[in-house]
Amino acid sequence: MKVWKYLIIVWMSLVIVGGFLIQIPFIPILEQTARNLFFHVPMWMAMYAMFLMSLYHSIHYLRKTDWLADIKAEAAAKTGIVFGVCGLLTGSLWARFTWGTWWTFAEPKMNLAALALMIYVAYFMLRSAFDEPKKRARISAVYNIFAVSTIPFLLYVVPRQLTSLHPGADGNPAFSEITAAELRFILYPAMVGFIALSYWVYEITYRAYRVRYISEQTISNPQ
Amino acid sequence: MYLTQLLFVVMSMFQDSTKVAPMDTLSVAYSDKWMAAANQGEGFFMSFMSSNNLIFVVLGVTLIIWTVLIVYLSRVDKTISKLENQLNHSSNEA
Repeated sequence: MKVWKYLIIVWMSLVIVGGFLIQIPFIPILEQTARNLFFHVPMWMAMYAMFLMSLYHSIHYLRKTDWLADIKAEAAAKTGIVFGVCGLLTGSLWARFTWGTWWTFAEPKMNLAALALMIYVAYFMLRSAFDEPKKRARISAVYNIFAVSTIPFLLYVVPRQLTSLHPGADGNPAFSEITAAELRFILYPAMVGFIALSYWVYEITYRAYRVRYISEQTISNPQ
Repeated sequence: MYLTQLLFVVMSMFQDSTKVAPMDTLSVAYSDKWMAAANQGEGFFMSFMSSNNLIFVVLGVTLIIWTVLIVYLSRVDKTISKLENQLNHSSNEA
């Protein structure tokens, strides 16, 4: 195992301990759940990082027709979905105890995040529809560029135009106005840590997919 | 049979009591009052989660992340095991 992986283990352990132990200001209703900021928000940051990486590799594939880039794009998109699912589930639990419901259709960010994940699920359905690797790689790379371009609109532009319970939405104070400064001492390390962790998960996925691709090729074209 | 009973017990644990969510967020778009915490409903799960200033919600969130990551990694593990089996199989043939 490389050094940076041990670094992630130590870093994330410190983030989790710090996230539970730091003194936070008391806010009615939110109470201790304000600590979810350290876990729920970095999930989305990790998802964005993975989807951006997936976009990079998809563009790289279209330019160079390098099959490794296609595998990388697939692995990054898969990891992004994993972190997106984490974000949705943690958000749902948090919502139950502060907003009063597991899920609400009146909350645009929640629903558009689910929609964004569905767009990425479609990416994998599209991939599974092709048997020929080159065709699959090219078409899914084009689709991936479309998919990632919807993310900023679904998760930043549209939710801010509508009334929403999330911070920063229309009529709500922005994140920077309502968040105590001391929360940032954990939040930013948590973002860095979770993005690094997602990179680790991506790397494991990529290595598995790469070997799978090679073994598929040797089975279909034995020498 | 037992599985369905167990499923029922688990589901009733998570179910809210007859009093549904105190604020109807399905039809009311946004209210400046978050009334959820005032009335969390009954049941073991709800009262446990609401105790100690909602700290167990944070525990639940970390456990969700942990579970999803472990489930995902065990799936990748399975993919790798399958490849290893294939590799062993083909090297035995040769």
